[in-house]
Amino acid sequence: MITQPAKLTSLLLELPSPGALLTAAEKVRDAGYTRWDTHSPYPVHGIDEAMGIRRTRLPWVVLALGVLGCVMGLALVWWTNATDPTRFGFVPTHFQGYDFVISGKPVFSLPANIPVIFELTVLLAALGAVIGMLAMNNLPRHHQALFGVPRFRRVTNDRFFVTIDAADPRFDPVRTEQFLASLGGLGVERVVEPPSSDKLPRGLVIALTVLVCLAPLPPLLVAKARLSKSEQPRVQIIQDMDNQERFKAQQAALLFADGRAARPQVPGTIARGDWPKDPHFHAGKVGQQWAATFPPQVEITETFVRRGQQRFNIYCAPCHGLGGAGDGIIAKRALDLDTPGWVPPTSMFSEIVLEQPNGQLFNTITNGIRTMPPYGDQIRPADRWAIVAYVRALQRSQAAKVEDVPAETRSELR
Amino acid sequence: MMKPASDMGAEQWDLREAAPRAARTALVVALVGLAAGVVCGAIDGGDTFFRSYLLNFCFVLSVALGALFFVLLQHLTRAGWSVSLRRLAELIAGTLPWLAVLFVPLLVPVLTGMGGVYEWADPRAVARDETGLLLHKQAYLNAPFFIVRCAIVFAVWSLLARFYLRTSVAQDASGDPGLTLRMQWWSAPGMLLFGVTVTVFAIDALMSLNPHWYSTIFGVYFFAGCAVGFFALLAVLVWGVQRAGRLTRSITVEHYHDIGKLAFGFVVFWAYIAFSQYLLIWYANIPEETAWYLPRQGDTWWIGVSLVLLFGHFVAPFVALLSRWPKRRRGTLAAAGVWLLLMHWLDLYYLVIPRAHAGGHTTPLHVSDVALLVGLGGLFTWLLLRPMARVALLPQRDPRLDEALSFHNV
Repeated sequence: MITQPAKLTSLLLELPSPGALLTAAEKVRDAGYTRWDTHSPYPVHGIDEAMGIRRTRLPWVVLALGVLGCVMGLALVWWTNATDPTRFGFVPTHFQGYDFVISGKPVFSLPANIPVIFELTVLLAALGAVIGMLAMNNLPRHHQALFGVPRFRRVTNDRFFVTIDAADPRFDPVRTEQFLASLGGLGVERVVEPPSSDKLPRGLVIALTVLVCLAPLPPLLVAKARLSKSEQPRVQIIQDMDNQERFKAQQAALLFADGRAARPQVPGTIARGDWPKDPHFHAGKVGQQWAATFPPQVEITETFVRRGQQRFNIYCAPCHGLGGAGDGIIAKRALDLDTPGWVPPTSMFSEIVLEQPNGQLFNTITNGIRTMPPYGDQIRPADRWAIVAYVRALQRSQAAKVEDVPAETRSELR
Repeated sequence: MMKPASDMGAEQWDLREAAPRAARTALVVALVGLAAGVVCGAIDGGDTFFRSYLLNFCFVLSVALGALFFVLLQHLTRAGWSVSLRRLAELIAGTLPWLAVLFVPLLVPVLTGMGGVYEWADPRAVARDETGLLLHKQAYLNAPFFIVRCAIVFAVWSLLARFYLRTSVAQDASGDPGLTLRMQWWSAPGMLLFGVTVTVFAIDALMSLNPHWYSTIFGVYFFAGCAVGFFALLAVLVWGVQRAGRLTRSITVEHYHDIGKLAFGFVVFWAYIAFSQYLLIWYANIPEETAWYLPRQGDTWWIGVSLVLLFGHFVAPFVALLSRWPKRRRGTLAAAGVWLLLMHWLDLYYLVIPRAHAGGHTTPLHVSDVALLVGLGGLFTWLLLRPMARVALLPQRDPRLDEALSFHNV
């Protein structure tokens, strides 16, 4: 076994009080030492000045990393959400961004990005503060010769210490020791690196050997799983809703009194599509032709047409416009945005619509046409007829003559 | 290093002769401002006057509330460093009972149903309201319940403020450390009451100006402004008091530093809350929520005000107060304080003046807005200076005063 010789690492001065520590620190500072330190059970005010410690440069590290985080956040949200992948075709697909429109916002919209930018700024600034602080303090250290000195243990209790490192350029084993002794205090002690063997401890060797032997196991198991074939279904760790308990149509189910899993129709209900239909009222047809008249179930009154106006303004006006000219806000917006493939909504006053029988208009509302979706599920049949009546009124208003205006209000036209 | 308390021998901590003189000047300025405000407001109709009054009342009130929060917080955390600042905060909070009296004029628009200030107080506006929301909210937003809530809120603040000022002043005479324990004991329930009452008041006085709209963070937003306003005023007040040769030893550079840190912190907190409110409403884009921001982004003037708030209430003070040195210099700190007070006023202006429906305000910034700032600001200064003739500026016998004197930022 080879042992290294004991080495003097530093000199230790023990002091009884924070006041004595401050005085001693000032003297060491004035003697020109640079690699030395003070130790105390609690923070002592004024020790920075007494030791001549410059203000820490840590805030600059924090600022720099905070700004870096800010820029990184900005770049991240810009790249991932505001770049057109076709313009960056040279970038590998996995690293391309997407210019997704989310909630109708611009692809690069600052308010949405601020949380990301803020979090990254704070994260990097905080990491900068912690890691910077550790690095500037030369931490972590797993060994410090001072801890081998028995009297140093009272540093966590009621004693104060000054240490001068042997690596200090002004350090001289004899003269520095005399200098420290001249500062008074409770005594000077030489801190020596204890003689140590260069052989690793037996326990550590065994532990490392076991660890190295076990380390290939996980990758080997993964490799086995990937290369071998199995008849068993895969192990599904997260089930989500992949496998659900359910009955098939003809199965028995003891839960119900009749023992059937399929349930009979509840009395008083009908299945979808089973409603008895009147061809004129529900489909707008008389025989094989579109009905030219309104069905007998509805009565054309002012209330009925006003109802039609209200429904029209809710369901139709967004595209066809309040006046029915095909200039609703959706149509205007689509034109503003120059939306490709946009089919403009039909004007209620176009030749085609004017010529269509009532039944055909009713059918268009019910089942939709071209890009217009069906409204049969949203608007009751009577209301659909009311809309037809209102459309007729609109068309009439566009071709109105003076005679159509009631005599008493005719004067208002001038 | 511990400074022995005997060092304080030459310290001056009262304003016996100076305070009444300054208070008189403040009162004269206040009366001139109030008169101008009443005249200008009356010419443009009562709505204008009461809205300007509400704006400037909330301005001085928020600063006093920030002071009450500070006093409660110091006792809650058993803080030692702040003892030499605490009496100033106690004095600012001590105006609260008088501010309760100054609130009474604001009951006029509520009781007479002037829809130009509180739309919900006007029965015609409620009947006209197509959404039916005003009718629905009448269970809460009605004049009698409003007055009951305000009475409770102001009673709580007045009692807390008086209790802390009186107990602290009593300790000047008796030096009884038991008083500190009593103040500490009350700080926890006091803080809870403070949180609830500030939220209730913010909703009643400011959020209900737009009765269709609501924001769950609004109370916090108002509180953030209170804290910013208070620390800004504290910075200015410390500068003024020390310029007058008082408290020159007991308030040190270390205290400036901490006032600066707190002002900085609450500036960021304000921005965080303001943005939290904005982001959710902006993202969801629901008409009943965006309605509040629409008039504030509708024309050049209000876009300008919004941007001044963004850069003046957050970006500029953030950069200015980020470093250590501006916080450790009384002059720069006081300048930042003046700026932040201005911005805090603008923030309240931004809350109070724009209205979703066309109100009486034809010009966005009315003369009465400024005249009443002078009036109520002067009145507030008078209320603050008056007791300084009797009350010392320092709790000289607080058991933690030594801690404050030897306080040292690492």
